[in-house]
Amino acid sequence: MMGMSDLDQIDILSGLKPGSELYAIRRERPEFVEGTELCRETVLTPNHGFGLSHALRAALASRMARFIGREDLAAVYDLMLDDAGSDPDLASIASCAEIAAATDAFTSAIIRHADLVTRTPRNSSRADIERLEKAGLSNPQIIALSELIAFVNYEARVLVGLSLLEEVE
Amino acid sequence: MSTARFKVKALSWSPYIEPVDVATASEEQLAAMQVTPSNTKVSAYVRTLAHDPESYVARTKLFNAIMYAKGGLDRAERELGALVASAVNRCVYCASVHARRYVELSGREDVVEEIYVRGLEGPFDARTQAIVDFCKALSETPSQATKEQVQALRDHGMSKAEIVDLIHAAAIFGWANRLMHTLGHSVPVEAK
Repeated sequence: MMGMSDLDQIDILSGLKPGSELYAIRRERPEFVEGTELCRETVLTPNHGFGLSHALRAALASRMARFIGREDLAAVYDLMLDDAGSDPDLASIASCAEIAAATDAFTSAIIRHADLVTRTPRNSSRADIERLEKAGLSNPQIIALSELIAFVNYEARVLVGLSLLEEVE
Repeated sequence: MSTARFKVKALSWSPYIEPVDVATASEEQLAAMQVTPSNTKVSAYVRTLAHDPESYVARTKLFNAIMYAKGGLDRAERELGALVASAVNRCVYCASVHARRYVELSGREDVVEEIYVRGLEGPFDARTQAIVDFCKALSETPSQATKEQVQALRDHGMSKAEIVDLIHAAAIFGWANRLMHTLGHSVPVEAK
């Protein structure tokens, strides 16, 4: 359990200090604070990963955070990637590099989807899901990937909103 | 304003992948879907996401807290945040659900008509404009949201606690839209 003055990832990346007004306001919604952390576990370090490793999930989260423009959030996921066991391919995913030509079809389809749904969700269509199926993703893998992508996009927006709110009177 | 009241049609949702079949679902999936002998009817949306029961259960709990928790920001304005995000992300299904809920709670058909017919630019009344501008920027590209937009919310009488609620409402639809609009599409209710 967290102590009263413990900062979580959202506080730190939003620039909230223990004892600050906004820190206290966040704690008036414990179901948001704890719920967000619980969701983080279910998409980054789930009990049943359906063959999508914790390391791959962290690498994708880092990549998406960079695309959204939150280098600080990306750095947190880089640390998570290191803890889970990184390698040059995963580090390349995290760095936002173009998909390497040697990348297997399964992994490159996952990266493409994360990029698309992070940047232009409005352009998504049935063909994008069919592309995942053709690359060998199972239905549970498609859902797990979708939830991971959506979570990071949610988290980044919470961070940005709270950071701005901390700046106003 | 037109004399006829503007109405948003109710829609149904159809997935691109095969949803979980209740008859063959695992114990964990059944628990996630809250299937009981007296409740075996589960929507296609829930059955689709139940492929990953762990994330489904955690997200549903968070979603319900953000949209329905007591106190704080007026529920109608949380629905407006959801509608703006859904309009930005072109999630036709989410937009129709939350436009209708917003009208039920606020009676503001005029705002919904403006959004559906002319888009998110407005003009709206000042408080609505402040909500739309901030949620639009946060939904499109978070780095486009500005301190001035948050200050405008404060200037129109929104407390910091209420703004925390609005941030979460817009953000959770950055999540929900990325499920509903990518994993399936809206269909007329008749074709269900």
